[in-house]
Amino acid sequence: MVSKKINISNKTMAYNGALTGVAAVFTYSFAVMIYAIIRSSITICNIMPNGERSSILLANGFSIAYSVAIFSLLMALPSCGAGAIAAIIFKKMLLYFNPNFVYTKAIIIGWVIAFGMLMIIYLLLYFLLKNWMTFNYIETFSFWFLLPAVIFFGVCIIGCSKLNKALNK
Amino acid sequence: MKNIARFIKYTILFYVFIAIIYWIFIRPQHINWGATAMETNMKFPVDEFISPDKIVSTRTINIQAPKERIWPWIAQTGQNHGGFNSYYWLENLFGAKMLNAKSINPEWQNPQPGDTVYYGKNEGYAIVSLAKPNEYYSLGGWMFYLQTIDTANTRLIVRYPSMEVRQSKFTALYYYGLFEPLHFIMESGMMMGIKKRAERK
Repeated sequence: MVSKKINISNKTMAYNGALTGVAAVFTYSFAVMIYAIIRSSITICNIMPNGERSSILLANGFSIAYSVAIFSLLMALPSCGAGAIAAIIFKKMLLYFNPNFVYTKAIIIGWVIAFGMLMIIYLLLYFLLKNWMTFNYIETFSFWFLLPAVIFFGVCIIGCSKLNKALNK
Repeated sequence: MKNIARFIKYTILFYVFIAIIYWIFIRPQHINWGATAMETNMKFPVDEFISPDKIVSTRTINIQAPKERIWPWIAQTGQNHGGFNSYYWLENLFGAKMLNAKSINPEWQNPQPGDTVYYGKNEGYAIVSLAKPNEYYSLGGWMFYLQTIDTANTRLIVRYPSMEVRQSKFTALYYYGLFEPLHFIMESGMMMGIKKRAERK
């Protein structure tokens, strides 16, 4: 089905996928960090008197940033692997379903892959977390579902279009 | 891909910076946030049950209210009661299904040793070990102590014996990396939440 010689090796794909996976986790972490720092700081400012405010604001802000940093570094390891595997799957799918490297088709493939993978992730989460899993609160809906979905779709669609362009060179 | 690699590099550098500041300036301050040396060394009724190998924090806050106005909020602590008065949205992010009470519920005003207090919806709990109205309340070894400053002001002292970290490197990583900073955020949030509610006219 492939008429051209493909100039991107699986190793390069895996490396790029791993980097993208880590970048996606870091992006998500930044969003959580900023949200938590801003929201808790507003609460602190409303409660603590002037003289005692700055020390707790700093301690709270850095504690949030530090714990999110550790969490995202820990999460970077599995997302590195997941990104590498996903990138190779992307390449195979693009070569199989889009041998003529049509741009719109590449976007649709990216969307379908993102949707499929998200469904798998949410099913896994559902079976792992069961009672813990809830979208009843704006926070859980936003940070368990909405934000990961936006990042995931963004990464998959942009990744697929860029890969399509690279494969077409 | 160069931009992505650069983003990762700068993010890691930023994390290293955060970690250095946290360990040098923030942690020494938050471990005994607001407490004087005397308060840190103070003996509490629950201390005899605390293992000497545990890392213990003592944190304090001044509340412009007499003990009697603070106690009801402490007494109804728990996910199965009036919540933890902390950042409920952060607790819910971890699936706790928390809701902080906006008023005092008379049904929850008489905690007794042996009562079960949940940290999240049917997940994780502690047993009330000591409870003396308007004086102190303890969940396991987690102590809430009310000290009168004058007729209108009270000092809330909270002592928390967290865990023994010598057992394994994994426990140490979990404790120092996640548990300790997160516990500080939630516990200081709880203390400020109690302050806010008790000072409300």
